[in-house]
Amino acid sequence: METTISKTTAERPTLAWLRQNRGTLAVLVVLLLLPFIIAIIDGQSISSVLANESGNSKFFQGLLIEIFILGLFALSYDLLLGITGLLSLGHAMFFAVGGYLTGILIKSFGWGLVPTIAAVTVAAIVQALLFAVVLPRVKGLTFALVTLGFASVFHIVVQSREAAPFTGADVGLQGVVIPAFLDPVDQRLRVYFIALLITMVVYFLYQRFVDSPTGRVCIAIRENEDRALMLGYNTFQYKVIVLLISSLTAAFAGMLHTIHQPIVSPNIAGLGYMVIALLIILIGGVGTLSGALIGAAVFRLLDFFIDRWFGEAATFLLGVIYVLLVLFVPFGIVGTWRQHSSQFTHQIEAIIERLRPKKENPE
Amino acid sequence: MLEVRDIHTYIGQFHVLEGVSLSVPKGSITALLGRNGAGKTTTLKTIMGITPPTQGEIVYDGQPIGGLPSFEIAQLGIGFVPEHRAIFRDLTVRENLRLAERNRGDFERKEDLIFNLFPDLKRLIRLRGTNLSGGQQQMLSVARALVPDNRLLLIDEPTEGLAPVIIEQLIEAIRQLSAETTVLLVEQNFLVAQTLAEYYVIVEEGQTVKHGMMADLAEDEETIHRYLGAA
Repeated sequence: METTISKTTAERPTLAWLRQNRGTLAVLVVLLLLPFIIAIIDGQSISSVLANESGNSKFFQGLLIEIFILGLFALSYDLLLGITGLLSLGHAMFFAVGGYLTGILIKSFGWGLVPTIAAVTVAAIVQALLFAVVLPRVKGLTFALVTLGFASVFHIVVQSREAAPFTGADVGLQGVVIPAFLDPVDQRLRVYFIALLITMVVYFLYQRFVDSPTGRVCIAIRENEDRALMLGYNTFQYKVIVLLISSLTAAFAGMLHTIHQPIVSPNIAGLGYMVIALLIILIGGVGTLSGALIGAAVFRLLDFFIDRWFGEAATFLLGVIYVLLVLFVPFGIVGTWRQHSSQFTHQIEAIIERLRPKKENPE
Repeated sequence: MLEVRDIHTYIGQFHVLEGVSLSVPKGSITALLGRNGAGKTTTLKTIMGITPPTQGEIVYDGQPIGGLPSFEIAQLGIGFVPEHRAIFRDLTVRENLRLAERNRGDFERKEDLIFNLFPDLKRLIRLRGTNLSGGQQQMLSVARALVPDNRLLLIDEPTEGLAPVIIEQLIEAIRQLSAETTVLLVEQNFLVAQTLAEYYVIVEEGQTVKHGMMADLAEDEETIHRYLGAA
């Protein structure tokens, strides 16, 4: 009897988790099947998808891998800015360090994937600690400018003539020979599944983190750091934890970028790339996490289709669309959806309360 | 329990506290009184380490705490209920209360006490702070300070801008919690301060000008009129 009870109790959190995330899990299933669905619509056979043959399916796998990479990058920025309130303008450096280091170690030093992963991990920790060093001294906009300073130095270094043998300077790092089992052309379906899996695992881990007591302290820091301090929290420690998680995520997104793309362009180290992360979380909803993934999809798909349909006018049109999105969906897609659904729930609850029969006073 | 000796504090270039001294006996409620801008809130913030003193001494339970970071001061068992209902608006009532835990299980241990003092909060436990009324936010702000085992509570203007019925509830709550906790209370409403406190300290232009038993102050109309502007 006791065993039955404990087993039932142990199952409850799993069931609750499944129920709570049923929407995301449904999306995961759709994304797992999508390469095959596209192939069927396109008249391709399943075996040709498995054999990584050219076609619309393979093309869209590539586009989706880009979305997953952007999604991971934006998630890491959302944790920093949206959840903890740390405005960093140097976030592109977190991504670019992972991207460049992967390329340099594989191409110039002939490292394998495992030692490269270890090196990217160490580099991500070091750069997070570098940002953390200035945390106790500067806040708000000053922190943003200092981080921009770090990133600008990195951007200049990767473009410099002295670093050209390793980074390719302003032409970018080219000719990185990716291990055959991760070849983005011959093994695209595998890379697609790996990128999808990493994105989903990171998303669920982030959700778990934000729902944990540590995550709640991060939200408290965003709202009012002094109040969090007065409750006895050493806010510096929490901000360092967030920087570490964010840096690791962005660096591994950068690593995936190098695996997927034939060129590591210096643009990924620039302010423009950081603005993309900001734009993505603005579109999706700042501080919502899922908004980072949805925003990445909207951003990349808009970019792709508008460019395809409107050619030269695309940049102008995209600018107009982003302005309209920010104006009419001010809390982002997920943020606005949550607000409306919460208002709707309140209204329904109020109606039920009104319709409920009043208890007669016995006296 | 708390001794503040001749503290001086600057905010930017402004010399806000120019010699505040006060003593809070263990187990008492001491009211810190004074007009707007006299330095009451700054005194509490200085004790909490938010605006550290440049001069003077703050001793809590025999230990000097002046210059310690805020989180270390809080960890010593000093709770602060700031003015303006300083809750975390994006978090639910439960999350706000849980956030105040210093040890795992603090909230569960204090749950009954908190919901006896503030029954409304039990009903609102799943609502976000932003959906609470002003009075409910203030209750939550006070309740949060009760979650850990604080031995000293600094409460800043708890009744400011609240309806009389909520004020009565808060007075009752502060009275009950003072049975276990020492309280330093900043209160503009002299009647509330008089009802609750045994001791008083008056600050004027950043300096302590008078202190003593509240019962004596209540009969000293001249002092009340001169420093507090109340009749």
